[in-house]
Amino acid sequence: MDPLLLGAFVAIATILVLFSGVSVAVGLVIVSGGFLVIFDGFRSLELMPEVMFGKLNNFALLSIPMFIIMGAAIASTRAGADLYEALERWLTRVPGGLVVSNLGACALFSAMSGSSPATCAAIGKMGIPEMRKRGYPDAVAAGSIAAGGTLGILIPPSVTMIVYGIATETSIGRLFLAGVLPGLMLVGLFMAWSLYSTWKSGNTAVLRNVTYTWKEKFEILPRVAPFILIIIGVLYAMYGGVATPSETAAVGALLCVVIAMIIYKLWNVKDLWVVLRDSTKESVMILFIIGAAGVFSFMLSSLFITQSIAAWIGTLDVNPWVLMFAVNIFLLIAGFFLPPVAVILMAAPILLPIITSAGFDPIWFAVILTINMEIGLISPPVGLNLYVINGIAPDIKLKTILQGSLPYVACMVVAIILLCFFPGIATWLPNAVMGPAL
Amino acid sequence: MAVQSNAHAARTGDNWFLKTVAFLSLLSGWTAAALIVASVFITCQMIFVRFVLNQSTIWQTEAVVYMMIAATMLGLPYVQRLRGHVNVDLIPLALPLKARKLLFYVTMSLSILVMGIMGFYAFEYWHIAWERNWRSDTVWGVRLWIPYLALPIGFALFILQLIADTVAVAIGVDKPFGIGEVS
Amino acid sequence: ADLRLSHQWSTQDIRHQVAQMVADGVAEADVGLEITIYPSRSLFAPREQYNPLSRGQLDMTVLPLSYAGGQQPAYNLTLMPGLVKNHDHAARLNNSPFMERLEEIMAEDDVMVLVHGYLAGGFAGVDECITAPEDIEGKQTRAAGRAFEQMLAGAGASITSMASSEIYNAMQTGVLDAANTSSSSFVSYRIYEQVSCYTPAGDTALWFMYQPLLMNKSTFDGLTAEQQEALMAAAAEAEAFYLEEAKKEDAASVDVFREAGVEIAEMSPENFEAWRALAQETSYAAFVADYPEGQELLDLALSVE
Ligand code: NA
Ligand code: NA
Repeated sequence: MDPLLLGAFVAIATILVLFSGVSVAVGLVIVSGGFLVIFDGFRSLELMPEVMFGKLNNFALLSIPMFIIMGAAIASTRAGADLYEALERWLTRVPGGLVVSNLGACALFSAMSGSSPATCAAIGKMGIPEMRKRGYPDAVAAGSIAAGGTLGILIPPSVTMIVYGIATETSIGRLFLAGVLPGLMLVGLFMAWSLYSTWKSGNTAVLRNVTYTWKEKFEILPRVAPFILIIIGVLYAMYGGVATPSETAAVGALLCVVIAMIIYKLWNVKDLWVVLRDSTKESVMILFIIGAAGVFSFMLSSLFITQSIAAWIGTLDVNPWVLMFAVNIFLLIAGFFLPPVAVILMAAPILLPIITSAGFDPIWFAVILTINMEIGLISPPVGLNLYVINGIAPDIKLKTILQGSLPYVACMVVAIILLCFFPGIATWLPNAVMGPAL
Repeated sequence: MAVQSNAHAARTGDNWFLKTVAFLSLLSGWTAAALIVASVFITCQMIFVRFVLNQSTIWQTEAVVYMMIAATMLGLPYVQRLRGHVNVDLIPLALPLKARKLLFYVTMSLSILVMGIMGFYAFEYWHIAWERNWRSDTVWGVRLWIPYLALPIGFALFILQLIADTVAVAIGVDKPFGIGEVS
Repeated sequence: ADLRLSHQWSTQDIRHQVAQMVADGVAEADVGLEITIYPSRSLFAPREQYNPLSRGQLDMTVLPLSYAGGQQPAYNLTLMPGLVKNHDHAARLNNSPFMERLEEIMAEDDVMVLVHGYLAGGFAGVDECITAPEDIEGKQTRAAGRAFEQMLAGAGASITSMASSEIYNAMQTGVLDAANTSSSSFVSYRIYEQVSCYTPAGDTALWFMYQPLLMNKSTFDGLTAEQQEALMAAAAEAEAFYLEEAKKEDAASVDVFREAGVEIAEMSPENFEAWRALAQETSYAAFVADYPEGQELLDLALSVE
């Protein structure tokens, strides 16, 4: 059979199986096994466990559970609240200090967590009730945190960047740096929209800030010190010759747990177990998808589908920007339904050769891809962050959370467009720090 | 709800089989968590040995990688029990209860079958490594049957938990895809 | 018949070109045989290729044979310091009783060699040149291969293991002081931007790695005589090309490093002997201790002039 036609069948089968309620990882193995048996014979099934083992046999993957533990440990304390409170007390001159502070806290927290739901939960737990108490519209309170939380995978460290780096063999240190400025740009866009929509809702009173005395301002500083300590510690380890990026994650995890225990008195064995349990749950889920996606891409490659799609697109001779537009639409749709890690693992091997041969920078593309995945996190039907918010504030209707998040989706689209016009936003920092790309 | 990340963990009711499987999965999950904690310490120890003591680090990277694989494999049943494997249930949600139940049995049978195939060949792979005394090609040269062992065990326990989940729906302790339960 | 060839190298790499030559040669012969190449680890992870090859699920591969050294300890001799002195010596080894013995061992796993080939490599130091054993003492080093790690550890270096793709970052941040890898990796990972001195493979070099084009033996035996002939003819041509290109690659890497302003050091015959004496106490000894039957093979290899 023609590999392209076969590819279409695989795509349909994958969609059907993945929407059938079976877990994403198992679904990928079901589809792979089915097509391997039919088109490669029974014996190719023998290889599946070896292929999965080979995919997981990679030291860089260690950083996934480690960066998840970092976020989970800190998220289980009241550190998130300290963070935005401190920001608010110091940002008294900025209008709408509270929502701005919450978004700023999301950005800062993202620098300590590799995953988006953890960021969302950490800041939202205290931030959403506080914003609502002060009179912010529910939609803004919920939407801003849902969107701010997605920064967890753009601002380093980021689990999805690690997965992209492994899948495409690009430097993880470089990918991390590439996410910094686009992350800050997104925070800025989010803040602008939050202020505008609050102002438009007519309740301008909430934008006026509570004033704080200098005593209050300085009083809170020691409570933010741990964050600064962690971030500096991790940065020093990563770029200061102590450890490679993959190893640094373990230092970060240990640092976060120790700080959570000492400063936030997270002594209780039960509380510590909850941190460990949640981290294990998220890590195993992601690592199993990585292993299963390895089997899936083995099937695609073995049946020559990956190669044929790449060759076919190569012959299309379209304008690179039209191609980029199509790729974005594809990623957007995939992101609506599937968790980021699964999208990256399934799409990167096919898309990357196309992207690079069209003259786009793979590091820049990682940022574009990540923002697409962030959109998926706050859009139906599978928006992990929406459900996190729903869990934090059950009395806000899912519909309101969704309505509140949609404008932030628009902000992300704007960010993608800006990045297309000014790719330097993503590539300047890694090039400045690590020298021009290979 | 389309993502079961906030769905209820597997229910066992009063059934001894479900309770036994739940206990095995819990045990397996603890082992996985312990392996993750151990890799944190081993990695930090490695950085210390290299950066502070300026000495060789021969075994740490390899050990940590194998421990991560083992944690993933042994974590499978536990995460299944916690309903932590992310899924998309658009089709089940659109179906009436009877069809949804049928679909549940179909997907669970397929899952058990495919994981069974993985488990079987993983066992074979492990057995070859054990029989022929394969080692890794590093200075440490670990006997490969040790890290490979995590695969058959992980798949076996995972299958057990999948069977338990199917049984739970069959005897009415749990609902198909966890849809419609109060969480 | 349609044969599948998997390897981990990019399509610019010599090892891909060798595979491509064989594929083209066979296609040209028009004997109803087609070879599909899966480059850049698009089918299997590098270290997961030997098993499927030996079980006939993969037909061909180009891989460092020492990757399978944990399964057949004898293969560890194909990445042993000082065993091969230069490319011509390597070519003589390929036609020696030593290689015959190795091929017998491969046949036990139902594996055979189509194209023999060795690639060389050298050392690079961030601050100082690495030529003699005493140069490496106290340095954090990454070595390519178990036997080299043992030898460098014996010289007092601290060994840290990492993928060759990580060397650049590790040197930039100061995790690593020196590294040993292949000439092509030194160039493709742009290590010349991070080091002050390069000791390339020259007239005498320590680091040679055997990276043949392998085939499943049963699959080969199952081909028609005509197909086998075409395959062997293409392989012979590719082998000559492989040897020439391997030599050029070392010279090319020197040019790249020199252009980047890196000092080029040379390993003198005395240095080479010092390394080899050290290797005898460390890597050779460890090899024989692990695998007593290996002594005979080692002697066979050392007897090749
Ligand atoms: Na982050
Ligand atoms: Na979504």
